[in-house]
Amino acid sequence: MDMNSLILSPLYLSLQLALVTTTTLILLTAPLAYLLVHARFPGKSFFEALLNLPLALPPTVIGFYLLILMGPEGAAGRTWEAVTGSPLLFTFTGITLASMVYSLPFALQPMKAAFEKIDRRLLESAYVLGLTPMSAFVKVVLPNSLHGLAASAILVFLHTLGAFGVLLIVGGSIPGETRVFSIAIYEAVQSMNYREAGILSFILLPVGFLFLLLVNRLIRR
Amino acid sequence: MRMTSRFIFYILLILLTPQWVGAAERLLVGAAANYILPFKELAAAFEKKTDINVKWTFTSSGNLYSQIAAGAPYDIFLSADEQRPADLFRKNIAGKPFVYATGRLVLWSAQKDACRSKTWQGALKSNMKKIAIPNPEVSPYGAEAYSVIKGTGLWELVKPQLVFAQDTSQAFQYAVTGGAAIAFTSRSFTLSEQGKKGCYYMIEEAQLVRQAACILKKARNRNAAEVFSAFLLSPEAVAIRMRYGYE
Repeated sequence: MDMNSLILSPLYLSLQLALVTTTTLILLTAPLAYLLVHARFPGKSFFEALLNLPLALPPTVIGFYLLILMGPEGAAGRTWEAVTGSPLLFTFTGITLASMVYSLPFALQPMKAAFEKIDRRLLESAYVLGLTPMSAFVKVVLPNSLHGLAASAILVFLHTLGAFGVLLIVGGSIPGETRVFSIAIYEAVQSMNYREAGILSFILLPVGFLFLLLVNRLIRR
Repeated sequence: MRMTSRFIFYILLILLTPQWVGAAERLLVGAAANYILPFKELAAAFEKKTDINVKWTFTSSGNLYSQIAAGAPYDIFLSADEQRPADLFRKNIAGKPFVYATGRLVLWSAQKDACRSKTWQGALKSNMKKIAIPNPEVSPYGAEAYSVIKGTGLWELVKPQLVFAQDTSQAFQYAVTGGAAIAFTSRSFTLSEQGKKGCYYMIEEAQLVRQAACILKKARNRNAAEVFSAFLLSPEAVAIRMRYGYE
């Protein structure tokens, strides 16, 4: 294969997947993390444990359940097909949803920590000054926890770049659609293209390292 | 701050645009791993003759089969057996299957002195190390290997030494890297660069592996799929696959 389908297409696909996953996941989990910090409701600890379950399970278990759920017979797969007319498995949308589930705890934890650190007096002043909880969240909480948001974003980004098993189960290895970087490396090893596997792996090394340095700085702040 | 957000916006814009805008005709083939070597040459020859861009995925036939049954968007399925394509045909997921190659099972080793014994059974018996075999559940070559080992009554003896690979390609790879001393795989790998450095036994007791292909009903590019299928049976394609040990 040419350079494009060998390196550029999987690289591009991985970055695309990581960006879309990060953006949607951060937007969705920010209110969720806030809720977990401030709200009290029955079954809260069960709910929180459920959200963090992807941390404790092998990727194959998550992949297996998602395969069933997103398949043509599964609830998510059937609904999606009824609405859009196309299947969910083996598509970019499918692996995006899968990596969102897979990275959920990584989005949740740093944000929760950041929200917990915010001085309650700040919030109280905001309420006294007449802000609704919603606008207090947007105008006071978010600006004061940017480093937490950034740490979440980078962790999710990296975790998605590194995802493999879940994506292989849910996405297969469709070139230009679901053959992301990690899967391209696996296939290169499988077909004994060690040179190709070496090049691909070496590209990812500095990326991971750089982002981790960044996370470190953000957390220390 | 404004510079940064603008920068981020452009990156997002680039990355969120679909990748295949304006791409030429594209054909997606899911092929059994044993066919990897001839297939790469076939695809290159085909792309030279037509405007159709061939993309592929190699894995075990069983893996491809279950992906296709779950709706994977391949246009053509090149299986390593006749049963799986026939099954897809019966379920109305694919069109009528046709045989595109006939392969043979071999026992290969990277070490030439592993083949000192006269027969492959002898080589198996004298071997004390790991033996790689493609998973019989998903690989037709693995299933064939399983039945000949069973047939010679060696199963109980070699069972503790077996390592199960996902497909023929991985079984061969195990033996190349030395993880296994010998491997059951498809003959085509013995004709590769690394394959020629080792030695092998042809397993005469094994059935010829008749490999069938089918065009999927959901193929996005039916015309291209038909042109490619016809090409697979053309004299040019036959010449290529013969060089890799397929009849």
